[in-house]
Amino acid sequence: MSTILLWLLTFSCLLFLPSLTIGIIRKTKARLQNRVGAPLWQHLFDTIKLLRKSETVSENSSWILRVNTVINISIMITLAFLTPWLSFKPATSADDLFLLIYLFAAIRFFAILSSLDPGSAFGAFGASREATLSVLVEPAIILALSAVALSAHTSNLSLVFALTANTPISQAPLWLLAGAGLFLSSLVELSRMPVDDPTTHLELTMVHEAMMLENSGPNLALLEFSSALRLVVLYGLSGQCFLHALHCIWPFASAAGILLSISIIFALAVVTSLIETVSVRLKWTRAPEFVAYGLTMSLLALLVALVTGVSS
Amino acid sequence: MKISLVPVPQAQLSDNLVDWLHVEDRRLGLISSLDGGQLVTLVLDCTDASAQCWLTPLDSDVYHSLTPSVPQAHWFERALNDLFGIRAAGHPRLKSVLQQSSCKGNLHPLRSIAQCGNPDHGHKSDNSYLHVSGEGVYEIPVGPVHAGIIEPGHFRLNCLGETIINLEIRLGFLHRGVERRLTEIPWRSARFVAEAASSDAAAACAIAHAIAVESMSDITVPERAQYLRTLALEVERVSMHINDLGGMSVDLGWSWLAANLSRLRGMTQEMAALLSGSRFLRNFICPGGVSVDPDARLGELKRMSEVVSKQLEVPINAFFDNSSVHDRTVKVGEISRSAARELGLVGVAARGSGIAYDARQHFAHGLYPALAPAMAVETAGDVLSRLKVRSAEIVGSLDLIRTALDNITSGTTSSELPNKLPGDTIGVGIVEAFRGELIHLIFTDKHGAIKRYCIKDPSFNNWTALAIAAGGNLVADFPVCNKSFSLSYSGVDL
Repeated sequence: MSTILLWLLTFSCLLFLPSLTIGIIRKTKARLQNRVGAPLWQHLFDTIKLLRKSETVSENSSWILRVNTVINISIMITLAFLTPWLSFKPATSADDLFLLIYLFAAIRFFAILSSLDPGSAFGAFGASREATLSVLVEPAIILALSAVALSAHTSNLSLVFALTANTPISQAPLWLLAGAGLFLSSLVELSRMPVDDPTTHLELTMVHEAMMLENSGPNLALLEFSSALRLVVLYGLSGQCFLHALHCIWPFASAAGILLSISIIFALAVVTSLIETVSVRLKWTRAPEFVAYGLTMSLLALLVALVTGVSS
Repeated sequence: MKISLVPVPQAQLSDNLVDWLHVEDRRLGLISSLDGGQLVTLVLDCTDASAQCWLTPLDSDVYHSLTPSVPQAHWFERALNDLFGIRAAGHPRLKSVLQQSSCKGNLHPLRSIAQCGNPDHGHKSDNSYLHVSGEGVYEIPVGPVHAGIIEPGHFRLNCLGETIINLEIRLGFLHRGVERRLTEIPWRSARFVAEAASSDAAAACAIAHAIAVESMSDITVPERAQYLRTLALEVERVSMHINDLGGMSVDLGWSWLAANLSRLRGMTQEMAALLSGSRFLRNFICPGGVSVDPDARLGELKRMSEVVSKQLEVPINAFFDNSSVHDRTVKVGEISRSAARELGLVGVAARGSGIAYDARQHFAHGLYPALAPAMAVETAGDVLSRLKVRSAEIVGSLDLIRTALDNITSGTTSSELPNKLPGDTIGVGIVEAFRGELIHLIFTDKHGAIKRYCIKDPSFNNWTALAIAAGGNLVADFPVCNKSFSLSYSGVDL
């Protein structure tokens, strides 16, 4: 297939997958609760609606609040082009593991600044909680990605995630563990259950939502889109790990990879909605324990990478 | 219940009250006033289901505060200050219970017109907050407009990191003048206003009103009507307790349980509709009996109560089998037994802290105390204890509904009412609403018109407990703690 077609496909995934994935999570949750639920594309409708609304900006806020949105969405789109979250996405040159990690950290840094900016108590404790969680979860993500990078002997993620023929089956546990570590850490990173509840109306319990309270109109639309994009990129990345495990056992054609890349994201969305339906939100002081599950998976992946790396 | 009026001079009031409350089974019902010229103290004795009304004439607008010796008097005294303009000297924290917006200047809504012209009694409403200072201490203001669709109330949390140091609660944003209104309308219509005093407990309010009126004019209620009233009260209890458990699961972020409980709550409201024709049991219970006889619909009601009991088993047990729920509810929002007794807590909050007080066991209303179910009492005083008490009461009430439906007698459902109420009498209705002890106290003048209608909602006793229970807990656990008390704003903003 020509590169232009692949770029077009990547573009449309970038535009529509975030809303659709959020839609799938919400719809599955609604069906699990015996509700009909909002239409699958409600997130997109809401984004369009918000883009047409006027904004209310706190008098106490400065330019930081506004600039955050621009920085946030532009870094996120850059990340979506750099990160190998879809197997068919054409390779880019600057997709170093550590660049990606610190671009994610940059988004968080500006998000925290902007929620402190209007001086609201809710935004401030949301920022404090977000900072705590990200300090805890960042090592898990770095370790999971380092594990797969170590086995590929490069930190260029496009090369690491490229599907190569004849991968030994012994690589499968490494990819599985790294995928699990990434997925569990993404749940924390994306402020989903059980450490945060994206559907709650209770400001006192919010993490990510509390940081967005001061945004409205187009500002909010872009931030919502950005966080949905972050969700598909992170799910895509852990999905790719699972696909590699599958590829080790049962090599599939690259055309099937297109379908599989997208459906693994949907599958992870369904898993998320299952978790969010049956689990109780953790006590705040218990959140580190949940982060530890992801960290353990990543550490095990690293261990496997070291062991298999020595033997090969 | 017949009630006697005992004059108690101002100098002895505090000592008398301390002596009265020294006995374990004696309680303070309420402290209020008729028109600002006296104090009225209703005291209850659970051992023989009697009550006394102490009348203490005041010679000025200032009297010696009871709060230092009787802590549970503190909110009553704050209400007296705002509603009647009589001030408790020596009260430790005499803040306003009415907000500026609903109580302008020195207007005291319940003070009699004659005294209102007197400029001496003017007081400034004081809405200042306790200021907590120190490095890292910050304030979170929550409300009066909340994210959910609830009533207006303001919570001021002083926090250090993720821990609440002090919580101050402000209510009174919507003073509706219910008590005043009840004295202005014809007494035959009063039931409509009385049951709207706290509409989620409409049946309880209506029964309390009916009993108060009936006790004044010696009306006997037919047995069938007593059965129907009991059914209404228990259906309301089951419905609202399930609603509270559902709210608890929402706050815990447990969506399948919330969805299930909200469906079951709908079924209990359907039961209410079968019984009374109204899903909220409005306009059903009236002085003299009940307004409609459900006749054949009672069979369907019984079938439905069995379905609800069966379907509730899994959701209720789910709470107690889940380790995350355990984490979030054990040792959260604790109220010790001694604090519960000092604050005079009622209802689920009291029974969760080891105080065995249930008005159904002690005071006659409906078929109680003969048919009263066994009391569910827990001793830990935390959120989980209140959850357990609430769950046990749902099961108990559903059993009671079936027993009542098996034994219900036939006959008339209402008796004749007199044209007017007897003059200079006092009527009192004490009812165990789903939140706890609810008191309606009615005074008539010499012509038989209602001159003072006093309502003590169960939440009036329990709001302070929430402020105390929240201290020392995590900020993120406050909603769960709040939900476990399930308090009414409108019951206090009368």
